[in-house]
This record gives sequence, structure tokens and C-alpha cells, in this order.
Amino acid sequence: MIKDTLWTLLAVVVFPGGLFAMALGLALKGVERRAIARLQRRVGPPLVQPFYDLVKLMRKRTLIPDTANRFVFLTVPLIGLAAMGVAAAMIPIPGFYQPSPLLGDLIVLFYLVSVPAVALMLAGSASGSPYGAIGFSREMAIVLAYEGPILLSLVAVALHAGAAMGQPIALNLSDIVNYQQQHGAFLFDPWLLPAFLTYLSFIPANLGIAPFDIPEAEAEVLEGPLVEYSGPPLGLLKLTSAIKSVVVIGLGVALFFPNGPDGIAGLVVFALKCVVMVLAGALLKAAVGRMRIDQAVLFYLKWPELLGVAGLVLVAARL
Amino acid sequence: MKSFNMPVGPLHVSLEEPMYFRIDVEGEKVAGLEITAGHVHRGIEYLTAKRNIYQNLALIERVCSLCSNSHPEAYCMALETIAGIEVPERAQYLRVFADEIKRVASHMFNVAILAHVVGFESLFMHVMEAREIMQDTKETVFGNRMDLAANIIGGVKYDIDAAQSAYIISQLDRLEPLLLNEIIPVYETNATIQSRTRGIGRITREHCIEYGLMGPVARGAGHGYDVRTAAPYAVYDRMDVEVITYPDGDVWSRAMVRLKEVAASIRLLRQCLRDLPDGATDAGPLPFIPAGEAVTKVEAPRGELVYYVNTDGTDIPARVKWRVPSYMNWDVLHLMMVGEGISDIPLIVNSIDPCISCTER
Repeated sequence: MIKDTLWTLLAVVVFPGGLFAMALGLALKGVERRAIARLQRRVGPPLVQPFYDLVKLMRKRTLIPDTANRFVFLTVPLIGLAAMGVAAAMIPIPGFYQPSPLLGDLIVLFYLVSVPAVALMLAGSASGSPYGAIGFSREMAIVLAYEGPILLSLVAVALHAGAAMGQPIALNLSDIVNYQQQHGAFLFDPWLLPAFLTYLSFIPANLGIAPFDIPEAEAEVLEGPLVEYSGPPLGLLKLTSAIKSVVVIGLGVALFFPNGPDGIAGLVVFALKCVVMVLAGALLKAAVGRMRIDQAVLFYLKWPELLGVAGLVLVAARL
Repeated sequence: MKSFNMPVGPLHVSLEEPMYFRIDVEGEKVAGLEITAGHVHRGIEYLTAKRNIYQNLALIERVCSLCSNSHPEAYCMALETIAGIEVPERAQYLRVFADEIKRVASHMFNVAILAHVVGFESLFMHVMEAREIMQDTKETVFGNRMDLAANIIGGVKYDIDAAQSAYIISQLDRLEPLLLNEIIPVYETNATIQSRTRGIGRITREHCIEYGLMGPVARGAGHGYDVRTAAPYAVYDRMDVEVITYPDGDVWSRAMVRLKEVAASIRLLRQCLRDLPDGATDAGPLPFIPAGEAVTKVEAPRGELVYYVNTDGTDIPARVKWRVPSYMNWDVLHLMMVGEGISDIPLIVNSIDPCISCTER
């Protein structure tokens, strides 16, 4: 029992949560920045720039505005980071790492993925800045818009995998991954195509990629909830978003395309899949501008929601 | 719904210059705003009464960077009117040339910032890169990227020879297809640009007349007033000036007016080079500038720029006063912004292309 607990802690703090997810997330950010720069015919920063930025922020002073609620203002970044550390430990790396069942199942993961968004809302409202308040309301609007479709997508996959394995519903990610490794990826299953597309559409909104980077829009609300943050807390918030990109992409990989070799090669293939997704995100970011919040919410309530429902109906019809 | 007060500026990433708005926000909508000016007041009008006529030329060139040719041009025209100086024809053409090359760079800068404000960074980079062709041309011809220092009393300070003329035409040949085949179609058809800028910040032609709006802001609402055709100066009466108007009066129309004016300005630049007559580029030794006063106006990139110069027979002008188009244009922000979303605030401010350093000088 104690050994299990220690291994789980290690998974949360060092690998694949914690340090590993931070490193991978920051590296992915570096790749993204470089790719966007190249798409815009700029040279772009070095790949390790996000690490430099983090180190710089960690060595700076923290300024807390007079209007801010000190306690919430300082704890919120920690909550977001902790949630993401645990979530990253729950993402299986196919052929290399299987999360301990102690950590929880798909439902826990679903809630953990929403924590950074909630943390950002709290951060925005705790900072006492009107820009933070606007960021708060925008973040809330967009979270409400994309939570529905993503839940539909997750349930569709869980139901499908469960039916295939003879359970009512499969909520253990490791089982879903193992099933796909033996019977082929869900990505190539036409019945799950709507669920996959729904998941794809959720990624840019959750990771704040254009055209859905509305809550943190720099040119409109000065990065919204982040406007009053400086120094280490800002660094933690940036780190949280870096890990979040690993978690969200990793979850997608686990749900739809976990196939790959065993051992260390599995880890490399996992990282490559993440890079491919990040490059696709960079392409999207470079190709479009930002939507207005009402347009984005309407978009999510229309298309991904519709796709999500269609995906669920398709899967349920075959049960 | 709870309303609160949001400050925009004086330093804000999407405002190019310091401008301060206190905006009453209800939810995501603007309920009212208060404009506070004066952050870049440098007392330039006062300084003009402390310097002599030639020092003022250098000073006035530095009122603002994007319209840095229109100010000295209007100032020189006023002094030429007072002293009755005849500006040679070649110099008149070269003045038009400098005017139009600045208009191209100014308008392209503004539409690029529009792309930046809607978060379309690739388009921003693309337009700025196309604009860079014009910046290179300015640097080659005038030796400067922004302040051209082209105008002097009685003419211009620069000349274009055959080699330079060929170089400028080759640069225009590079810019024109980029503009006509890529940039204008993108602004006309791109879904992001369309959905973010159409129907936003609307004004009507009646508002233009009521508020005395100028330049692309007025022309974007169907009010076709352009000093170059209404009261031609230099050799604009011999040029094929197109007055471009769009009927809708929204952010998109103003951007389109600017883009189409860039294309028109490129044609004017070509016409200038083609028709450029031989002769002197300045009026030679200048006469004594007597006591007198004159009012002149030119079409700056942002609209009508009016100069009043009063001399008392000394070499220090008694009074130099100017009225810039942004002075009228920014008052209409009250009208444009109320009822729009807060995400459209920077877009609307950018769409009137306010020149704060001209207005507050």
C-alpha cells in the first residue's frame, strides 16, 4: 500500500506528471512559437525560449495589487498547477506508462481538466482589475460552451469501449488504451468519427488557440485574468497552461490513437503525436483571427454540440 | 446587469499612442465613454513662436511620424502664399510624390494594425512586410523611413533621377500585385475579418456632416470629401485623383477605403514619375517674408489638415496654428462605441486612425 502510494506520488511529481509534463509542455510551446513564426516568415525564438521565460519569471518580484484578494490571488496558480500535475499522471503513455488506478478514472480526469479554467476565472476575479473581471466572464462563457461537447465525446468513447469489452461503460483509460492496442485505434472507426471531431474542436478552446483565445486576448483585454499577475505566480499560470496542453493532447491520444511501439520508443511516439497536434494548432492559429465571445459561444453550441450528440447517438444506437 | 467602469489606456497594447478612455461597461457592451486627452502634449504650437521660420520646418516635421510630410507641406504652402513665392512645377510634382508615398505607408500601417487587433497575426505580418517595400523605397529616395524632410519653403529638398525613377517603379511593381491580388481580396473575403469588422462602429453620411468628419472615416460612410479634388493644391488638379467611398460607414468600410486608396496612390505615384517635368526643384534665393497671414489645407492620410500662419515681418512667425482631422474624428467615437462589445473597442479606435501626437501636439 505504502509502495503504491509512493509510486503514485512519484508519478504526480516527477513522471509523467510534474517535471516531465512541464518539460514536455514547455518544449511543445517552443515548437508552437517557432512554427507560427515560420508560418509568418519570421525567424522565431529558440526552441528553449519558454524555459528561459519561466526562469525569468521565477526570479522576478511578485506584485500584488491593493485591490486584489491576497490569499486567493496567490493560491489559485498553485491549485491549477496541482490539478494539472495529477491530471498529467493520469494520462497513459501507450506502451510505456500505465496510470495507477489509485489516481481515479475518466470522470475524475474530466473534472481535473476543467480546474485550470476555474483557476483562471478565480485569478481574474481575485485580481480586482476590470480586465480580470472581463476575462472571468469570457472564460466562464467559453467553458460553459465547450464542456457540453467534450463530455458527450468522452461518454461516446467510454460507451463504445465498454460495449466492446463487455462492460456497461469503460471509465478506466488504461483499459481503453489496451483495447485499442489490440483491436485497432478508434480514430479509424467511422462510428466514432463525430466523437473524434468533437474532441478536436474542444482542443483550441481549452488551450486558448485562435480563434478561441478570447478570455486572454492581448489586444482586447490585456490577457484578461493574467493582467495583474507578475513573477512566480505568473510563471506558475504559464506552466499550468503548458502542462494542460500535454494533458489535453495526451487524453486525445489515449482516447483515439494510442497505438505505438512498446518501451522508450512508445514515449517518443507519444511525444511526436503531441508535436503533430501542436503543429496543427499552430497552423490554425496562423490562419485565422480571433472570434468575438458571442460568436465563439454560438459556434460551440451549434457545431461541436451537434457533432457530440450525433456521436453519442451513433454509439448508443449500436449498443 | 451590473455596470462597471473600465479604463482603456493611456497605455494599452492595441492603441498605438497614449489615449485614455473611461468606458462604462454593462456586461460585454459599452454604455458610454469619456475621452481624456493630453497625454502627449508637447507644446509644439508654442514652440513655433520661439523659433525662426526654418527651425520651425524641422520642428513641424516632427509633430507626428505618419503624417510627417503633410505638416511641413501645409506650412511651406502658407509661407509661400504670404511671400508670393512661385514653386517650380517639378517641385510641385515631387511634393505630390512625397505626399502619396506617405499615404501608402500610413494606410497600410493602419489596416495591418486592424489585423493585429482581431488577432490575425499572420495577416498583420504580411501587410507589414508589403509595407516594408514602401519603407525601403522611402529610405532609398529620401534617406529616411519616416520623416522624409522633403519640403522646404519654395520647393523640395530632394530630386529623383532616372535611376531612382526606375528603382521606384520596380518597387511599385513588387507592391502592386501583392496589394491587388492578396491583401485586398483577403480583407474583402476572409471570414474572420468580415465577421469582426462588418456592421461594427456604424455612422451615417449625416453624422459625417454633423461632426465635420474627415478623410477615410468620412469616405467610408459615403461622404466623398477629399481636399485633393475639392480644393486641389500642388499639381493635384492635373492628377487623376480617385475619391473612393464606401456606403456602410462601418469599420470594414473604413479599412477598405484605405486599401483602395493605397492602390489609387500607387497609380498617382506612377503618374508623378511619368509626368515629372524638367526644371528646378526649388524657387532659388527666397525673398523676404513680409507680414501677413495665410490659411492652407492639404489632404493628410487621415483627412483635411488646415494650417494658419501669421507672420509679422520678422523671421519668427507670430502664430502658427493647425487643425488636424483626428480632432473631429475622435469625437465621433462616442457615437461609434456605444452599444458595441468591449472586444470591438480597440477595433473602433483603430478604425478612425487617430493621430494623437498631431492632435495634442
